[in-house]
Amino acid sequence: MSDASDGVRRAGSVVRAPQSFVAGLVLVLLGMFGVWAASDLPRGTLGAMGPGMLPHWVAIGVALCGGVLAATGLVRAGAGLQTFGLRGPLVVVLAILAFAVTIRPFALGPVAGPGLGLIVAGPLAVIVGGYATPEARFRELLILALLLTAGCMLLFGDLLNLPIPIFPTAVIEAASGRIPSRVLLRLAAGALALAGLGLLALERRATRRTRTDVAPHAMTT
Amino acid sequence: MTDLLANLGLGFAVALSLQNVTLCFLGCLVGTLIGVLPGVGPIATIAMLLPITFGLDPVGALIMLAGIYYGAQYGGSTTAILVNIPGEATSVVTTLDGHQMARQGRAGVALGIAAIGSFFAGTVATLLIAALGAPLTRLALIFGPAEYFALMVMGLAFAVVLAHGSVLKAVAMILVGVLLAAVGTDLETGQERMTFGLAFLTDGVDFSVLAMGLFGVAEILRNLDQTETREIARARIGRLLPSLADLRQVAPATLRGTAIGAILGILPGNGAVLGPFAAYTVEKRLARDPSRFGRGAIEGVAGPESANNAGAQTAFIPLLTLGIPPNAVMALMVGAMTIHGIVPGPGVMTKNPNLFWGMIASMWIGNLMLLVINLPLVGLWVRLLQVPYRLMFPAILMFCAIGIYSINALPTDVMLIAAFGVFGYGLIKFGFEPAPLLLGFVLGKLMEEYLRRALTLSRGDVLVFLERPVCAVLFLVAVTILAAALLPSLRRGRDAVFTEA
Repeated sequence: MSDASDGVRRAGSVVRAPQSFVAGLVLVLLGMFGVWAASDLPRGTLGAMGPGMLPHWVAIGVALCGGVLAATGLVRAGAGLQTFGLRGPLVVVLAILAFAVTIRPFALGPVAGPGLGLIVAGPLAVIVGGYATPEARFRELLILALLLTAGCMLLFGDLLNLPIPIFPTAVIEAASGRIPSRVLLRLAAGALALAGLGLLALERRATRRTRTDVAPHAMTT
Repeated sequence: MTDLLANLGLGFAVALSLQNVTLCFLGCLVGTLIGVLPGVGPIATIAMLLPITFGLDPVGALIMLAGIYYGAQYGGSTTAILVNIPGEATSVVTTLDGHQMARQGRAGVALGIAAIGSFFAGTVATLLIAALGAPLTRLALIFGPAEYFALMVMGLAFAVVLAHGSVLKAVAMILVGVLLAAVGTDLETGQERMTFGLAFLTDGVDFSVLAMGLFGVAEILRNLDQTETREIARARIGRLLPSLADLRQVAPATLRGTAIGAILGILPGNGAVLGPFAAYTVEKRLARDPSRFGRGAIEGVAGPESANNAGAQTAFIPLLTLGIPPNAVMALMVGAMTIHGIVPGPGVMTKNPNLFWGMIASMWIGNLMLLVINLPLVGLWVRLLQVPYRLMFPAILMFCAIGIYSINALPTDVMLIAAFGVFGYGLIKFGFEPAPLLLGFVLGKLMEEYLRRALTLSRGDVLVFLERPVCAVLFLVAVTILAAALLPSLRRGRDAVFTEA
């Protein structure tokens, strides 16, 4: 990433507003892509507009805006390129994908997810997502994941009755007929919440012990 | 007048049922709770909480959503005052004097004034909506497709002028939004457009998916880039109720703010954003000692906050009467209404009077609730604000994922919010604003429909837009303000309104 911005900055004598210039070029590409994507659609006439008419002209408009924007980037001085974080976007996307492929049985071409329900997908998203920041601590995230999942199971599954799978499909099949699903849901949520609260209590006690030695009253303000 | 009273009576009868009052209360409470979290604005809050309202009847669902909206908005002001982070664009100005007051140990009074100002503004705006609802609806009925198209073009022109930064970038964003709206099955011919044969694109991009990606996920990514600098007002919150002297000082500011906000809020194209800025500028100009502003002037909180709330509410007028969402939040409301099988527009008032007037009455009740909820709960909000971001964003992420999944039960929707999140992050990094894109996306579908219908009726004659007087005037307004925005002298003025504050 830093290479690219360096490159543009070196060419600073030509490009006076790298941000506008690059943004304009991206828009031109986007517009061209739009024109291509709509190229197989009949455009029709003004009196009987076809499905391709509006996308075609709007895409041309996008490309034009991009062209003008890039041109102003050459003429008028402006903001430079901003640095992009890589860790944040990558990890957050990963966390969302993890949730999407585990929430219910899922197949996209050769990739297939097993369908593990909210009870797995939720904590997975929280813990994986938490690592988007370098300040992440595993214990903290685990407690958060347990408590949040318990809360969400009760809120979305029990209280609001939304059609969101809670348990892995295997568990649902095994439990069907033996335990009512509501009872199972409440038991599982209770167990998660207890585990989370237990860990939280342990953590609290540990920090309190260290804290009393270090800073007796500075924290109370 | 008697009509108005009878209608409001019907509205209050609906809104005051136990169920609806409870829903309104819950909406305000949950909305504030989520809205208080830094970096979560009203759009993300509503998108996240939309699924909660699915199981309710339409009236209850919309009352609750409206409550969530006011709650989120008020939550944004709370963070602005206490942490100096505006929850959304309209509370940017509140940070200036509100946070200064908080630093001087007057956070409580600032919050109290914000709540009281908002309540007053909300009351006036409610009456205004009730009064304007009927005549505007009648006006809407004589509108043909050409007029609707022209009205939306004017709305988008306003959106361009009111967006921060480059006019060109705002136009580009709107066009990208319209282009995105074209993805999916064409309504008239049933032909698939730009779907690349992907099954999950057949129905087009879901609005809440786009909103959640651009405003929920992208915002997280942006916040992750910045090292956290949250300065919670460490000083005491102080007493909440302002003194009589305070009240006397802010009364004129509240009145002016309400008037400015209410008028700007009606404009299509997110005029509500401008309200607080304009109110602040006016207060500063009128003040006997302008140097107090920026150092904790109480009028600097009361004026913009009243304008903020008045605008937030009058923004419902174009939606309820014409069926045109003037901003992204109202676009979400359209989404919610369609889920419940209600087509927003002039028909709502005649076909669902219960819904129309019930919602209007609930606005006033919602504002009262905010006053009741917020003043005693300020302590709770302060504690919530102390939660570090590293714990907050995984929770937001999970709520977003669950919320989106439960709308259509499609894992691909969840994946799309990741894609739009990264896209939105890129937009922010290149200095684009995502709000015009969202507005273009919503209006794009409507605009294409009306454009096609208008041109079919005129047999392809483009001049129809200039021959019809209402239409011509609307286009003239659009062209004039766009041209004005491009003139250097006026552009400087526009920048000044946004930066002077």
